[in-house]
Amino acid sequence: MRKLKKLGTWSRTFLLLSVLCFFAVLAQAQTVKGVVRDQNGDAIIGATVKVLGGKGGTVTDSKGQYSIEAPTGSILSVSYIGYLTKQVRLRGENVVDIVLMEDNTTLKDVVVIGYGTQRKESVTGSVASMKGDVLRDVPTGDVTSALQGRIAGVQMTQTSSKPGASQQIRIRGTRSLSASNDPLIVLDGIPFAGSISDIDPGSIKSMDILKDASATAIYGSRGANGVIMITTNKGTKNTNAQFKYNMYVGTKTNFADYPMMNGDQLKKVREISGAYQPVFTNGDEVEGTNTNWQDLLFENGFTTNQEISVTGGTETGAYNMGLSYFKDDATIPTQGFKRYSMHAAIDQEIGKIFKFGLSTNTNYSVTNNANLGIGNVLSASPLINPYNADGSLKGVVHMEKDNQWTYTGDRIKGLGDSYKDQTTGFGTYNNFYGEIMCPGVEGLKYRLNLGLNYRHQKSGSHTGTGVFSDSPTSNSSSNNTNATTWNWAIEHMLTYDKTFGDHTINFVALYSAEKSHYDSQNMSGLKIPSDQLLWYNIGQAESTTINPDPKYQGYKESGLESIMGRIMYNYKDKYMASFTLRRDKSSRLGGKAHTYPAVSLGWDIAKEKFMESASWLDQLKLRVGYGETSNESVDPYKTLGLLGTRAYNFGPTGYAMGYYVSELPNPDLDWEFSKTYNFGLDFSFFRGRLSGTAEYYIQKTENLLQNVSLPSTSGVGSVYANVGKTENKGFELSLNGIIIDNKNGWTWEAGLNFYTNVNKITELADRKDRDEGNGWFVGYSINSLYDYEKIGIWQKDEEELRQIMEPGDSNGPGMIKVKGGYYTEEEEKAGVIPEGKKVGDARAINSYDRQIIELDPSWEGGFNTRIAYKNWDLSAVASFRHGGKLISTLYGSSSYLNMLTGRRNNVDVNYWTENNPTNDYPSPAGPVSNDNPKYGNSLALFSGSYLKFRTITLGYNFKGEWMKKIGLTNLRAYATVTNPFVLFSPYYDESGMDPETNSKGDENQAVNSNYNKRILVVGFNTPTTRNYLFGLNVTF
Amino acid sequence: MKSKIFLAGAAMMMGIGFTSCDNVLDETPRNIFTPEYFKTEAGVQGGLTSLYANLRNTQGQAYYWNALETGTDEYTYGESGEDENFMVLDFTPASALLKSTNCRADVFWGSAFSDINTASGVIENGEAAGIDKSLLAEARFFRAFDYFTLVQLYGGVPLDLGAGELKFNTSSTRTSVRNTVAEVYTKAIFPDFEEAVASLPDAPRTTGAVTKTAARLFLAKAYLTYAWWLENPNNIPTYPECTRDAGQAKSYFQKAYDIAVEAINNPGSYGLTETFMDAFYGPNDRNKEMVLYADHTAQDEYYNGGVGYGWGNGWAPDNFVNWIAHWNYTTMNNGLLIRDGRQSYGRPWTRCATTGDVPHKFNDQSIDYRFEGTFVTAFRANWYHNGGAAGFEKTGDTERVAANGMKIKNGDIALMFKGESDPNVKVPNGKGDSGLGAGTIDGKPYFVFTPELISRRCYLNIWKSGYYNETTIADETSVGMPNGANPRPWNIARFSELYFIAAEAAVKGATTQSGMSARDLINVVRARAGKWRLAPYADKDYNVDLAEGKLYADHSAEMVAATPENITIEYILDERFREFFGEGLRWFDLVRTQTWEKMAGTYHICDKNYGNVSETFTRSIKPHHYLRPIPQGQIDALQMTKEEKAAYQNPGY
Repeated sequence: MRKLKKLGTWSRTFLLLSVLCFFAVLAQAQTVKGVVRDQNGDAIIGATVKVLGGKGGTVTDSKGQYSIEAPTGSILSVSYIGYLTKQVRLRGENVVDIVLMEDNTTLKDVVVIGYGTQRKESVTGSVASMKGDVLRDVPTGDVTSALQGRIAGVQMTQTSSKPGASQQIRIRGTRSLSASNDPLIVLDGIPFAGSISDIDPGSIKSMDILKDASATAIYGSRGANGVIMITTNKGTKNTNAQFKYNMYVGTKTNFADYPMMNGDQLKKVREISGAYQPVFTNGDEVEGTNTNWQDLLFENGFTTNQEISVTGGTETGAYNMGLSYFKDDATIPTQGFKRYSMHAAIDQEIGKIFKFGLSTNTNYSVTNNANLGIGNVLSASPLINPYNADGSLKGVVHMEKDNQWTYTGDRIKGLGDSYKDQTTGFGTYNNFYGEIMCPGVEGLKYRLNLGLNYRHQKSGSHTGTGVFSDSPTSNSSSNNTNATTWNWAIEHMLTYDKTFGDHTINFVALYSAEKSHYDSQNMSGLKIPSDQLLWYNIGQAESTTINPDPKYQGYKESGLESIMGRIMYNYKDKYMASFTLRRDKSSRLGGKAHTYPAVSLGWDIAKEKFMESASWLDQLKLRVGYGETSNESVDPYKTLGLLGTRAYNFGPTGYAMGYYVSELPNPDLDWEFSKTYNFGLDFSFFRGRLSGTAEYYIQKTENLLQNVSLPSTSGVGSVYANVGKTENKGFELSLNGIIIDNKNGWTWEAGLNFYTNVNKITELADRKDRDEGNGWFVGYSINSLYDYEKIGIWQKDEEELRQIMEPGDSNGPGMIKVKGGYYTEEEEKAGVIPEGKKVGDARAINSYDRQIIELDPSWEGGFNTRIAYKNWDLSAVASFRHGGKLISTLYGSSSYLNMLTGRRNNVDVNYWTENNPTNDYPSPAGPVSNDNPKYGNSLALFSGSYLKFRTITLGYNFKGEWMKKIGLTNLRAYATVTNPFVLFSPYYDESGMDPETNSKGDENQAVNSNYNKRILVVGFNTPTTRNYLFGLNVTF
Repeated sequence: MKSKIFLAGAAMMMGIGFTSCDNVLDETPRNIFTPEYFKTEAGVQGGLTSLYANLRNTQGQAYYWNALETGTDEYTYGESGEDENFMVLDFTPASALLKSTNCRADVFWGSAFSDINTASGVIENGEAAGIDKSLLAEARFFRAFDYFTLVQLYGGVPLDLGAGELKFNTSSTRTSVRNTVAEVYTKAIFPDFEEAVASLPDAPRTTGAVTKTAARLFLAKAYLTYAWWLENPNNIPTYPECTRDAGQAKSYFQKAYDIAVEAINNPGSYGLTETFMDAFYGPNDRNKEMVLYADHTAQDEYYNGGVGYGWGNGWAPDNFVNWIAHWNYTTMNNGLLIRDGRQSYGRPWTRCATTGDVPHKFNDQSIDYRFEGTFVTAFRANWYHNGGAAGFEKTGDTERVAANGMKIKNGDIALMFKGESDPNVKVPNGKGDSGLGAGTIDGKPYFVFTPELISRRCYLNIWKSGYYNETTIADETSVGMPNGANPRPWNIARFSELYFIAAEAAVKGATTQSGMSARDLINVVRARAGKWRLAPYADKDYNVDLAEGKLYADHSAEMVAATPENITIEYILDERFREFFGEGLRWFDLVRTQTWEKMAGTYHICDKNYGNVSETFTRSIKPHHYLRPIPQGQIDALQMTKEEKAAYQNPGY
């Protein structure tokens, strides 16, 4: 068999050589010229034109023109990425114009899979790709928000609505209880050590998301949460210099103001509640006043992005360089984000066997006044007139119980140095590579990758005397943090890539080592003598409180040493297989090693003989994969134990530091391990008119890190240990279709993605079935709440039952009615049912009536569509989710904005009165618990469903000879509106506000301790905006 | 060209050699300490400091304080205290069941064992590192202090944390065995305190460090408590069960007396302040009467251990007892009273209320200064504290209407709490003009509360442990930082308690020394209580007399004359009530003397109503309540059988 194959190869080589000789002898060279255009008649720049079997070739210039020496009778092959290659037999013409048809199938696209690339049609793992151009359909300065709703199984959730904030990324759900669920980000091949907001979306060529373990196992101990491969722009060989200028500029308005009451409404609430005087005449309240504090604060924001780049290449080298500037100002005056970025990529070949390159992404960003909150603006009584009789602004306004600094936009703008908070970040991410083709062994290549990354972040804040305080003499204070991150990585890689007839083999072997370092220093001081100093000399603080607080001094260093091997095999693009093995040794585990195997197989049924008749079928590929990964969940030094510190004063100024054992050493700590099965089906019909992917996965994670409580009597509070299990199961579907393909100038394309993820805790520490404090319950999602659930309002005709379930609350009907109020089986088990009662009997509401409330949506996804007619195009991007819960703290207890007592301003809600027996909100006269309506937190829960249009864009592509005359090859103008509208959202219907979360669970509330940090909520953060943008894309 | 490429390639390959160094996998933490540090001398000293700092996690922690006060004759739950934190401790019919999951005595359990282990670590490592004996005696003091408190709250507790009895534990053991009460006293508490008495210095090593006097006070109290336990007059059960030899009780009463008297006779730098009020006036903090306290400072946020002076969160290590013990005086009509960072005001949480019986127990108010010295007896209009500075004026507001339609100025009394009934007080129906249901007296511009009007909404706010911040108090135009936690030291033991310990032991049969009978001892304290620093209802926040030390009146002789000839335990308890009200001792006192049910079985209060509708509440205090439930967190974290876990819990829970 082997002999035969060898013979075959030899004979083919011989034949090829003969043909070449034949041409060399017979062909008569002559010059052929022409223009390469696309279906629309636009010139294609950089298309490769070759004579089949001939030497060399050329590429089309900026006008799409080529010129090549080609003998009559030879075959001219013209190719360009994204187009079907065309072959033309020359019959002696001198001018041959060629039209290339777009290749709608994306099967030949190259995807980045980690330590290499692969044609999409032969990928066997779960990899989703997104081209930079598509990403930029959503004009934003942040990669994560551009990705939102674009890829099945990749959930982006807003954690903050402030300018410069990035979203939380979850690939196929959450799996870890206490360790990170963030995916690994790899920038140009090197694990990214910076902040994701450092990445300028304009410099991205493609993003490839590795979702299942058969794809991520090559990143071994870091692969469990998925991997995002970001590739930045590179130049193309043999192209003339091409400049691109992209810009947009826009204005921002609040998507919605917070729905607060006006003065008359607040007065009404107070009248009913009786807790406060309707108008507090000894403060600054005046009957009939209706101050809209939000109007006094907000202004229109501004955003712009400016980007210029140049790309080109010589015969042996290529380059791409760009500069960009992004600015995003909030609607809260003085709050904003700016970023300056620089990108360069150079590739150079030296001779036939040696190649090297460098890519660098460097940026500097400034975030201003991100800490400006608006809680006081929302809570301020609208009955207050903020101005004195002479028209000047009052310094502090007084309500019945609360006094606050008068918070207006003009006043904030006038603060100057007396309030400033600023974070500046400088990051530079540099990758170098060198490649040597092994002489004599075709397809064997050695590659060295070197990554060197550095990021410095400085955060300073200064608050002057009396600023934001109801006391004009409150101390000034300053705070300063400097943090440095660096990381280096070195990778030695051998690859062997070879096709033997129908068999293609790709082999990679890798050795890598990397080290990451982080340190931070913090200092703060009270009574800074002059605002001018800001935070630059805290040593001048007059108070003895000059604090380098040991709690806020950070230091972490960790190293990873790995070897990896991968074999990919492909037979005729019909059968495919991939095997990976990675072994990681980490300093975090004291050098302990772990091995991660993965395998995946693919079968393209469309390539089978029996499917030949189905010519409409381009691809029907079944994939199956299995892999093991972990998530580098143990923080550095966690195995060594820890002494806690307690600062103490002996007498007013006798300061001393105390130490006690807070964590025991635990050398047995280990990673959390995930095992993933993935089943996929890729399909493409009608030459790419309809294509898509459907996938199903099961991921089981075990060894979960948890802080296991030790009994207090051991003398140590807890030990960090590997116990517990979770599971994720999900289904994903993505579809892309070209519904109308250039008919009478019309084109209509649409894409849809849809996914589900069911997350479940399958085991907790000590095999307990619940951990109420953390909201973890076996059989339920990690993202759950444990609290009372409102089912309505007690009405007048329900008094009899209410007296049983809410005894002692004498205020009559109108209070919140929560689920429960009957003896449960759980109580029976606990033996707390009194004699004479049984399960099902009505009783007073008690803590057994708290419910497990799962927050995860039942399904979510997004869609995008584009309609084009001649030069015009209209496109839209939308995302949706269905089910689950949204927590809006505005309506619950933790914001103190729905107290319904009239103490502070209240969210405008439909509350119960005798004449308005609603089931929406309780009566202001109802029972109060911790200053809020009893069970007030149950009011914070809303359905999480929504459909949100993220952008709508109308664009115009300029065409015509005039462009060529002034040297333009491409000119596009567009107008975009972001966040134009929201549908199917009960929360939006209630509040008029954005149904997306805007805060972590411990932020932007009056009481930040009600929810776990990991639970995302709506708080009183900077409002979501609707942006009106105008943009230009110019190529010349 | 080719050779160049070859050389370049070779150079690249060299990289392999440089990167396979082992140091990639090394770990050296540089911003934290690992337990290794405890093996150094500096580490041992740091361990000692943490024992002091840990006091803050319980002493001045309001929920724990509430577990020592709510349900006694001093406090019941307040209007905003209708949750399990407070109500279950009250044992009234409306209270939920006191359980292992809701008893806030858990605060001490959660903090003590880590402390005990650190102390054991300090003692073991300190001996090896050659640390001075007097320093190690401090560690012994705290280990004994923790065990003494634990044994009173819970009965017997484990002496072996996993490495052997009283040994430093570093294993993650998840089993536990409780020793008996007798074992805890005789193996841990007595030897440790005795060694502390022997080795601690007379004068503190540094401000607030423990001394011989502190060790004697607690040793005497431990002997006294153990003697009562042995005697067991009312047959209160103990757990784990063990035999008690009532015959031994007498010798321990004697020991208690002897040690207490020894402390009184050798006071060192300690003693009684001139007047009762002097011991609690903010500027006098760390006075000579304070034998042990959890220190705080207004000078440095960080070393104060809290979140910040401007806003407190209501948890340890902050001192925030005054919040939960203060009713919301700012709900008074017309804005006469606002939140204020002064000792009479502070942040009101209305979680724990004095019962309506409290003022009556302060008998002899005309000569006994302690009612004045304990409570806020007069609220003075203070709206001006929020004005005065440029840009903050409010005009036309120098006077406001108070009672009887009369106007008062800032600084005038707006609301008075009288300690005795007064027939001249007219009680309104409902809230009245004050908005609080307060009474009025014809011709007086202020409102008045009498004992019958005390409700869960309006009651006696404690002044003793009120808010005081030396750095903001000087500014008369400002309210300071009323929402902050209290940066005052929290008093744990006062010198005056030595007299009570000795007197109690004497009443229980200890042979007394001449001139130091129970009556003699009590009279020392009562004579002091007769010395008045200020007139009744004086402004305690702005009084030069208080600072300068002039006496307003001296009723010492009348106080001594009023002392009964025959001192009983009941009399001592009443006297302790007046002396130590709100200092977190009451539950221990009632439990030690087994008189809880008798002294606090019923109480009177106007519940949540305004006006004169006082009700009687009956508490169902059972013998098993004399031990608090072992916290459920402890039981859950144990890896033991269900039966073993059930046996670990105190019976009845």
